[in-house]
Amino acid sequence: MVVLDIETEDGQREALRRMLTIRAFDTKAADLFSDGELPGFVHLYVGEEAVGVGACSALESDDYITSTHRGHGHCIAKGLDPDLMMAELFGKANGYCNGKGGSMHIADVDAGMLGANGIVGAGPPLATGAALTSHLKGEDTVALAFFGDGAVAQGQVHEAINLAATWDLPAVFLVENNQYGEATPVEKQHNVQNLSETAEAYNIPGFTVDGMDITAVYEAVKEARKRAADGEGPTFIEAETYRYHGHFEGDQQPYRTEEDVAIWKDRDAIESFKRRLVDAGTITGAEFDEMKAEIDQQIEDAVGKAKDAAYPDPSEAYEDMFNAAVPEISDFSSGMRADGGEDR
Amino acid sequence: MTTAIGLVVNPAAGRDIRRLTGGASVSNNYAKRRTAGCVLAGLTLVDDVDVLVMPDSTGLADRIVDDAPDDLGVEFVDMTVTASGRDSRAAAAHFADHADAVVVLGGDGTTRDVAQTIGDVPVVSISTGTNNVVPTPVDGTVAGAAAGLVGSGAVPAAEATTRHGTVEVDVVRSEETTVIRGLATVGVLDRPFVGTRAILDPSDIVGGVVSRSSPAEIGLSGIAGGLVTHRPDDPGGVGFRLSRDGESGATAPATRVKAITVPGNLSTVDVAEHRVLDDGEDYAFEVDRGVISVDGEREHEVRDGTVRLRPVSDGPRLVDVESVLERAADEGRFRLG
Repeated sequence: MVVLDIETEDGQREALRRMLTIRAFDTKAADLFSDGELPGFVHLYVGEEAVGVGACSALESDDYITSTHRGHGHCIAKGLDPDLMMAELFGKANGYCNGKGGSMHIADVDAGMLGANGIVGAGPPLATGAALTSHLKGEDTVALAFFGDGAVAQGQVHEAINLAATWDLPAVFLVENNQYGEATPVEKQHNVQNLSETAEAYNIPGFTVDGMDITAVYEAVKEARKRAADGEGPTFIEAETYRYHGHFEGDQQPYRTEEDVAIWKDRDAIESFKRRLVDAGTITGAEFDEMKAEIDQQIEDAVGKAKDAAYPDPSEAYEDMFNAAVPEISDFSSGMRADGGEDR
Repeated sequence: MTTAIGLVVNPAAGRDIRRLTGGASVSNNYAKRRTAGCVLAGLTLVDDVDVLVMPDSTGLADRIVDDAPDDLGVEFVDMTVTASGRDSRAAAAHFADHADAVVVLGGDGTTRDVAQTIGDVPVVSISTGTNNVVPTPVDGTVAGAAAGLVGSGAVPAAEATTRHGTVEVDVVRSEETTVIRGLATVGVLDRPFVGTRAILDPSDIVGGVVSRSSPAEIGLSGIAGGLVTHRPDDPGGVGFRLSRDGESGATAPATRVKAITVPGNLSTVDVAEHRVLDDGEDYAFEVDRGVISVDGEREHEVRDGTVRLRPVSDGPRLVDVESVLERAADEGRFRLG
């Protein structure tokens, strides 16, 4: 991963590029899904780009993140390759999980991305585990868990935070409060008004930041990372944000109105950051348009490459799934190879 | 005649990053809800009160209304909720025409937002934010009682309020001027962006103008207060410029000042220059790259601009809670026989 220094002009342009890449990737994924070209479900990150990019900008390259079912943005923010992500969405062999994970399981351990996850609230325990590993090995890496407002009501999330807090582990818990847990508004899910109040139960700092402002998220995570790396334990950050798309593609969204969405689009993270950079002279309007066109083409190319790529061989259907050999799977794979595999 | 009291409870106040970077205390929304409940109870000191409550997106206002005493008429202001400072300004604009007094639960930022549009309506400001200068940590019941007494006219507003000063700012960049208004303090910081809004590092402070100063206050007004005391209702204000990296930038040597810049942080700063300013007198900074802070929060990014600050005596009318209640007691309003 290329580390962004968002305090420099180059870093700010790169942060803008990553936010635009996320939006282009997920906007394309929506089109592909509605055209029936993608298998499985997709949950899109459009609107929340400042959280992922702001947070990852504050991390070091060998730090870890855990993700959610809405993970494309986290992947791109951490520096993963959109070509290999798109291949994974299409179920192709050159995807990050050899085409067997799909949208909700993209992972790249070498890049510090410990996986998107279809189970709500499954990321924080993984982050606590990664933080414990770092602590036991005496490393200086930090693990950051992205999770949603719905996950805050899940038991394992609290177990993870409690353990990390009790053991002063180098973890950061970042809840992306996008205002809805599936179809339920956040105020109907939780008895606290700010989810960051949850931190008080664990005797760790908790605070809320504007998740539509990449610089606010960056600063918050930077301070939390420093605290974690200094051995002072985890921090709980709530980033208030909004997803422009439904919970999943195809969601009819009866739980909100167009006016609700418009209020948040009025504070769009990409548009406001672009405006600030243009005002500061960091980028011109023409350079922004050029960057956007370049990214749109990059994503179109990723789709083309993904479509042209091969599916995994059926004989490998059960490979890459278990750490230890499973005799029944070995037998199955041998049989498939002997048969020459299924005709696709 | 019915007395109309406006109520602004900012669910975001007291939740920012200073809980991590400084010693700021947590102000959770359960505490705000309880305080708001106390305000409503205090308002029952006077008869025939209607309360207009600012709605929010968190459910906090819903709970406050649900918990309200039966003998108060309580309803929401009809407004669009944006989950930002715009809500406090919109509610205050409504109260300017429809309320006899307003109670604000929040910090300096919330009080400033209300002050922008509240006009002459008396304001009782209760601290639930971070290292506040303007709002006071007063019991909600006491504050509610005072608001009721002033709003109903039982204690004349003219005798129970003071006019707080403000700081007006022109940010001039080539062909355009942006106007900003602060309540107690406006600062110029050497930071690249607004970010988490809080002033994280005192060494970022370049200078500023305050409409009040006292060593008992935290932040920019505390720095100026180490040199000169300026009451909130005194005309004018204080401008100062810090010496950075050992350079005074002025003809006189820097004055070293101890000040509480954020909770838990007693800093030493070198003041290159300070000046008591008349009402409307400009104090300017040339800024290559920086941020304007308003009432303790970074608000506006500046690149290659001139920042002109001036104190202006046209702020909100703040209710002196203690003197209101003492005046009411002197007039026998607490005696039943």
